[in-house]
Amino acid sequence: MIRANLKAVTAAPAQGVGAGQGNGGTHTLGVKKARSFTLEHRRQLAAWLFLTPAILYVLFAFVLPIVYNVMLSFERSSPESIGSLTAPFAGLANYRFILSDPTSRMAIIHTFEFTAGSLIGQFIIGFTLALLFSLRFPGRTLGRSLIIVPWLLPLIVTGVIFKFLFQLEGGAVNQLLMDVGLAHQPIDWLDTPHLGLLTILIANIWLGVPFFVVLLYSALQDVPVEVKEAALIDGAGAWQRLHLVIVPIILPVIEVVLLLGFVFTVKVFDLVIALTGGGPANGTQLITTWSYNLSFQQFSFSQGAALNNVLLVLALICAPLYLFVSRASLRRSSGAER
Amino acid sequence: MTRLQRSRTLRWLCTLGAAAALVLVLFPLYAVIIGSFETTYNLFSPTYHWLPISPTLVNYRTVLSAQSGHVLTSLIVGIGTAVLALVVAVPAAYALAKFRLRVTVVLVSGLLVAQIVPSIVIATSLFLVFDHIDLLNSYPGLIIADGTYAIPFAILVLRAFFFTLPNELMQAARVDGASEWQTFRRIVIPLARPAVITVALFAFLNGWGDFLFALTILNGATIEPITLGIYNYLGNYTQDWGAVMASVVFAITPAAVMLVVAQRYIASGLTAGSVVG
Repeated sequence: MIRANLKAVTAAPAQGVGAGQGNGGTHTLGVKKARSFTLEHRRQLAAWLFLTPAILYVLFAFVLPIVYNVMLSFERSSPESIGSLTAPFAGLANYRFILSDPTSRMAIIHTFEFTAGSLIGQFIIGFTLALLFSLRFPGRTLGRSLIIVPWLLPLIVTGVIFKFLFQLEGGAVNQLLMDVGLAHQPIDWLDTPHLGLLTILIANIWLGVPFFVVLLYSALQDVPVEVKEAALIDGAGAWQRLHLVIVPIILPVIEVVLLLGFVFTVKVFDLVIALTGGGPANGTQLITTWSYNLSFQQFSFSQGAALNNVLLVLALICAPLYLFVSRASLRRSSGAER
Repeated sequence: MTRLQRSRTLRWLCTLGAAAALVLVLFPLYAVIIGSFETTYNLFSPTYHWLPISPTLVNYRTVLSAQSGHVLTSLIVGIGTAVLALVVAVPAAYALAKFRLRVTVVLVSGLLVAQIVPSIVIATSLFLVFDHIDLLNSYPGLIIADGTYAIPFAILVLRAFFFTLPNELMQAARVDGASEWQTFRRIVIPLARPAVITVALFAFLNGWGDFLFALTILNGATIEPITLGIYNYLGNYTQDWGAVMASVVFAITPAAVMLVVAQRYIASGLTAGSVVG
């Protein structure tokens, strides 16, 4: 079917050219226009065919779930209604529930704290290491390639590893703290809400730092040597060179890294499930995990959907910013031929 | 101290700093590997041993029978996700980079925003939709869901790569009478190989490492990838850390292999992902 269409369209310009030749020289200009017109159409059609799988996929896997999630959040779902796609209209009941439910509110607050803490930690450590690796010293190449490792591990695996390290008895972290005398008895990291959150935060910083290092490092490499030398000749100290010369140049990359870091962090789910399961007493729930709990453990899909929408709005707040920092790539349809 | 000496000391200080950072980065993996060779009895003792005390293969023996099916499942899911990502993303990225379309800006913006959508939002809806169209507990269902991690990224990275291909190549093919499809198939795809490999590797890792969709879309025990296997292991036998650590070693093997074999592609993918901006 598609192939037949393509054939029909490819046949068209050939006919146009033939007709043009038959008519002699006088109409050449008009015919050329007609020819490029059909050629352009043929290209447009080809482009749309190339795009078709992606458009269908995006409609099915992104647009449909988002729209359905919004619908769901205004319905009153019950375990019986799961099979039937729609449920009775419930107005704003699910959102009222989210605002009054203490665990949901706490999950929202935790998500904010966790995201802010992660970004600050990842940026400070990541930028320091990026600066370190842009200096010349023995072993820097090996170091740079090894530092990527945490980024490649499945998130659930990172969670399990940190659970092992932060165990109450026989955990490496407690052992270290006691060996150096910072603690006299093992600390119960995972069974107290604020320490549990702190552990999740540490794990998330650990896995996110490589991403910051790689991107900031490559941005630092792109700072022209002449600029750095000029600043050096003008007598700028190391700190001045950093915050007056280098940071302004790599600012666009810093913006992108922080935005993407934000996006990764508000989505964190696996780490919590592996480390604390949201406990004790729901004390370490984030929006993602509590939404999972509401939908898949209590079968209140509508309440879960309402909380999902809170998360979606939170994540999409940075969408305009993200589009703004990506504007160069958006405008660039440079590839378009002619 | 002469200047030379000072710069030499400084260099070694940098090495020391980098080494300290790498210890923090790599220690968790070290702990996993030595833990996987330790009996659970030793791992459960109140003191942590920094060095292996009595290496044994007992955990691997336990895990080989319990998890090898899950490893196979994860391979299928990872490869499926990579194939889906390529089939959807390569032609789309080509169209968005090399054809002049009114909708390009809209579509690329849409893809940038799609990367932001939290997976739990997608999982909740897809669970109910899949339940209706019988895709729960199926490979196609899980692979379609896992594609949401990989596909927007893949299109953006490939598009950035296609920008670097000179237009003359495609024009030459057309002058020689190649159709758009032939140009794409014979000229564009072979040239795009490095970017295609990068994208396929990341899509594979996405499918391999997915936990959220496996947890929600696979609610039975018929299909169980390694991530879910480890999670269930942890829940059922919290005491058996040795076996859990050996399973973790299985789960991190692909990432380790790729880092050694395809480091170039991994590093380029990591930067390309956000330098689309």
